[in-house]
Amino acid sequence: MRLEAKLALFNALSKLLLVLLGAVVIPPIVSRVAVSHTDQRLHEKRTEVLQLIRRDGISTFVQGEAYADYNILKQEYITLTPLPPEGGHHPHPPRIFDEPRQVDNQVEDFRILSQQFTSGGRNYRLEIGSSLATVELLTDTLRRMALWVLVIGALLTIFTDAAFAHYLLRPLRLLISSKLQGVHHPSAFSYTPLETTTTDFRRLDDSLSETMRRVQTAFEKEREFMSNVSHELLTPVSILQSRFENMLQDPTLGHAHSLKIVDSQKTLYRLRNTVKTLLLIANIENEQYLRDESVSLAAVLADVTNELEDRLAQREISLLEELRPDYVLPEANRTLLFTLLFNLVSNAIKYNRWGGSITVQGRPEAGGYRLSVTDTGPGIAAQHLPHLFDRFRRFQAGASAPEGYGLGLPIAKTIAEFHKALLTVESTEGKGTTFSLLFP
Amino acid sequence: MHVLIIEDEKSLHHEVQQFLVQSQYLVDSAYTYAEASEKIFVNSYDFVLLDLGLPGGDGLDLLREARSNDRQEASFIILTARGAIDDRVKGLDLGADDYLPKPFSLLELQSRMQAITRRKFGLKRQELTFGNGFQLDVTGRTLRYHDQDVALTKKEFDLLHYLLLHKTRVLTRLQLGEHLWGNVLEDDSDSNYIDVHIKNLRKKLGQFAPADFLETVRGIGYRMAGDN
Repeated sequence: MRLEAKLALFNALSKLLLVLLGAVVIPPIVSRVAVSHTDQRLHEKRTEVLQLIRRDGISTFVQGEAYADYNILKQEYITLTPLPPEGGHHPHPPRIFDEPRQVDNQVEDFRILSQQFTSGGRNYRLEIGSSLATVELLTDTLRRMALWVLVIGALLTIFTDAAFAHYLLRPLRLLISSKLQGVHHPSAFSYTPLETTTTDFRRLDDSLSETMRRVQTAFEKEREFMSNVSHELLTPVSILQSRFENMLQDPTLGHAHSLKIVDSQKTLYRLRNTVKTLLLIANIENEQYLRDESVSLAAVLADVTNELEDRLAQREISLLEELRPDYVLPEANRTLLFTLLFNLVSNAIKYNRWGGSITVQGRPEAGGYRLSVTDTGPGIAAQHLPHLFDRFRRFQAGASAPEGYGLGLPIAKTIAEFHKALLTVESTEGKGTTFSLLFP
Repeated sequence: MHVLIIEDEKSLHHEVQQFLVQSQYLVDSAYTYAEASEKIFVNSYDFVLLDLGLPGGDGLDLLREARSNDRQEASFIILTARGAIDDRVKGLDLGADDYLPKPFSLLELQSRMQAITRRKFGLKRQELTFGNGFQLDVTGRTLRYHDQDVALTKKEFDLLHYLLLHKTRVLTRLQLGEHLWGNVLEDDSDSNYIDVHIKNLRKKLGQFAPADFLETVRGIGYRMAGDN
């Protein structure tokens, strides 16, 4: 999961948690606020009523009977009740409590302020009530508003946070897309510094460039080294080869010596091929070859069979070609692919029986495209298979097998890897061998 | 034909020189960048065989320098043991006519020189005649005996052509094999493919006339007899 997605997810989750917490905590707070608000109103009314009584006298309100005042919807009431002189009623400070009261013919719950006071030598009880339904209505409204503010605030900050994170992480995205993806070799790395004001990204970019520079220097050193080694090894070989050729042209040379020279030529040829193979593998691994052509496997195979038609004919081997359909590698090196297929097919000829057959099959597959070369030769013993692609390991693949598995297959393996293809082998002794290439 | 060999490795220089002199070329020598630069400036050559790693400079610079000089019309063949892949591309881009990686066969060098000469003088049709009535059309890649076509495979044609180019010389199986398969690395030097090719060639030519001009040199290789 990408960092940005993780941040957004975490952000959304934490906001959701906040909203949930709000949903739990806000209602009790809101009810308390509503209740205390109601209580305060009751106190204010009490003060007003007492002021009125003090100004106008208690008789304005109470003449023997109790006084009661309701508003039309019965949300509030005020009662003044004279208390019998006996009964131990003492004036007491206002108390507030919830109790049901009957108003007209209905019983309702009220928030009630009750106070006993003395006026004109008599005790009275003042009750001011506010319907609890009203209080709850207020509570509800407050609660709903608070939740809406919370939810809208949360959603808004989720989006702004995500947008900000997106903006902040832009350099990182750039770093990944332009410097990491598709960089298979230091030479393909872009050293232009990343535009960012974030110190962490700056450091990351700098150390990445520094590492790449070091890797590239190492590659260049190896390249120079290979070039020098190549020169040092191939120059003496070249001298000897030319000398042998000149000696063979000498008409005074005896036959016995000519034979020796031809023999030396063969030895030299082997040395030359070993050196060239090592250099080829090293150069491929050092990314000295370009992969800049789109190459059709069928076309390369046609070139290969064209080169090898005589050998096929000489050993009366039939070649069956089934590429269904053809596969075009988008980024390939044609020369190297030729060498790869040439080695596989020429091995299939070399290690085949007289009059045998070779099947070259190409099929799209779940993991890519599979090209396989199957021969009808003696097969390879199971214990040799794991070492088949090792460099310079030789063994007898069959009683009459010619030498030469030694060089062709490591080259094939290296070229396959260069094209990100997987080269594998399967063999049944007595039936034949299949080399397959799986192109991604 | 006037050839300048630019090669600092004395032994190799000597071998190439000996071979070319035997093949009737007029040979001049340079061992360093400065020496080569001067000779290219003063003399006019048909061929310059150019080694890339020279004392005093890079052969590619020498090539660039020579190519900017209008009077120098020599064909350049780069001979190098440097492993760098792009040398070949650079060399050909700078106007080299051919590129032979070391080690190379002297016979291969000579046939490349002949091919360049043919190109240079615009020889559209080149025919080699041999064996009393055979005609090898190099450009059309066909072989005829008087008026009859002789069908050859690609490799048989190349083999016959190479033998004819080096008439009277003994060519070993390796030299022939390297010419036929030069672009691929193979390690079975004992392959008998050449023998089979020769056998088939003899069979095909023998249908028209005795193919005794194609001689076997026991244990060594093959030779195309000269006209007599």
